[in-house]
Amino acid sequence: MSSYAVTIATIIVIQAIAVCGLNVIVGYAGQISLGHAAFFGIGAYSAAVLTTKLGLSFWTALPLVIGISALIGLLLGLPSLRVREDFLAITTIGINFIVEAVFRYVPFFGGALGIGGIPRIMFFDIRLKGIPFLLLCVGFLILVLLICWWLTRSWASLACYAIRDEEAAASTMGISPVRFKLLAFVIGTAMAGLGGSLYAHYMQFISAGDFSFPVSVGFLSMLVLGGMGTLWGPVVGTLILGILPELFRPLVDYRIFFYTLLLLLMIRFQPGGLLGEESFARKIIKPLMRGFKK
Amino acid sequence: MMQPLLSVKGVSRYFGGLRAVDGVSFDVFPGEILGILGPNGAGKTVLFNLISGIYEPTSGEIWFRSERIDSILPHLIAQKGIGRTFQIVKPFASLTVLQNVLVARGITRYSHLSKVWGPWGSKGEIRKAMEVLEKVGLSDLAERKAGLLPLGNLRRLEIARALVVGHTILLLDESFSGLRHDEISRLEDLIRSIRKDGLTVILIEHNMRVSMGLCDRIIVLDHGQKIAEGPPLEIQQDKRVIEAYLGGKGIAYAS
Repeated sequence: MSSYAVTIATIIVIQAIAVCGLNVIVGYAGQISLGHAAFFGIGAYSAAVLTTKLGLSFWTALPLVIGISALIGLLLGLPSLRVREDFLAITTIGINFIVEAVFRYVPFFGGALGIGGIPRIMFFDIRLKGIPFLLLCVGFLILVLLICWWLTRSWASLACYAIRDEEAAASTMGISPVRFKLLAFVIGTAMAGLGGSLYAHYMQFISAGDFSFPVSVGFLSMLVLGGMGTLWGPVVGTLILGILPELFRPLVDYRIFFYTLLLLLMIRFQPGGLLGEESFARKIIKPLMRGFKK
Repeated sequence: MMQPLLSVKGVSRYFGGLRAVDGVSFDVFPGEILGILGPNGAGKTVLFNLISGIYEPTSGEIWFRSERIDSILPHLIAQKGIGRTFQIVKPFASLTVLQNVLVARGITRYSHLSKVWGPWGSKGEIRKAMEVLEKVGLSDLAERKAGLLPLGNLRRLEIARALVVGHTILLLDESFSGLRHDEISRLEDLIRSIRKDGLTVILIEHNMRVSMGLCDRIIVLDHGQKIAEGPPLEIQQDKRVIEAYLGGKGIAYAS
């Protein structure tokens, strides 16, 4: 594998971890978020600060990083989740801009220069980069997918689905909408924080622009393309939107245009995403799988 | 005298200048079937929304046993065993019929975060949910997506979910409308049988034959106010009730 391919693959896997988190919020609980990059950034910045300023290792910092991301997710989710749909979308966009501004203008976070010199992750005595680092990220992605798989079978997710489909009916079945929306939000932001931490240690240098609003739009595009609420949708969506721009390098300036176009087409023709029920991809895959089993 | 299970005391709910429910009081006693009648827009569904906590009263009090429940949230009222259906059906459309009932079965867990991490698909849970579906005659459709069912089946699904939640009081909001004749008599039998199990039922019903035959007592609302209360036969002959339903001229035809 060339180092170029390893770089692309690593970024895709890290983003897939964040998109899995977004899936818990948007796909399971039905709460639109257009500010997921903020929590990706909070994870990255807390990892950067804890390792460069306090000298912690990646491993000791990791629980703190996830805890901080989840806590800020809880604090920001508390007021945001009181509003619904369009208003929630706008509120989360606002969160993204505010968090980005804090990174950009507060000197503690390096201001416009960002934070550099973030150490590589040590695994016993090995300094992880290249393929070993990619494998570590894949390991974390598998862990996140396992958590998602387990979530979908739990009463917690059943409560989230109920809120997503019919909030009023869910509340007359003993489900507190606030509690379970917050729960989904906290789990989702914690996963974003994990992804952000890996991103910081991979890039070794981060700045506020890495976590701006267009990154959130990218995350949501990946999720919608792959299939909201499905287990593998986030991975498939991230893979496609991660590889496509590399294949069509000359079009890189029009990336946002294509993302938006893709998002509109998906919502118009395949609202369930590529892996959603009744999708054309599933119709193609299903007979193949059947043949395979025979 | 018997202690009422539910007491509605001078409850009003205004929407701007509209008095949707206006100073309504009544008691509900354990084990009875109470009918709420009234023309369209009389405030029947608003009354249900007040009891189940979806709206807060503008004034007045609602008591459940010895507890005031008029300003607590819907999920807490549900946890007291007060189940309801919606006149405009609200299925969890992306879930299967079985999962819809399972959502309701989780009611004992949702208040403790430590209890929500286990799997909902255990054999015992599914068996119990299937028993409820059998009661309402939906067990054949258990694996269907709720969003694809016709209205009659969705009304039964609403009842199935409410049966799981409502182990003390069941609020049925026009559960009979849109049902066929045979379905109506099946549902009547079901309501009589759950009453035998000790449940209290409050139902909103337009179908006179059904409400007269089923209810022990009837309350009539008109323009948000209670205009009559009593056993079905009395209500049938009440001048104000006939007037509210047929208009002033109707009385001439009726008599």
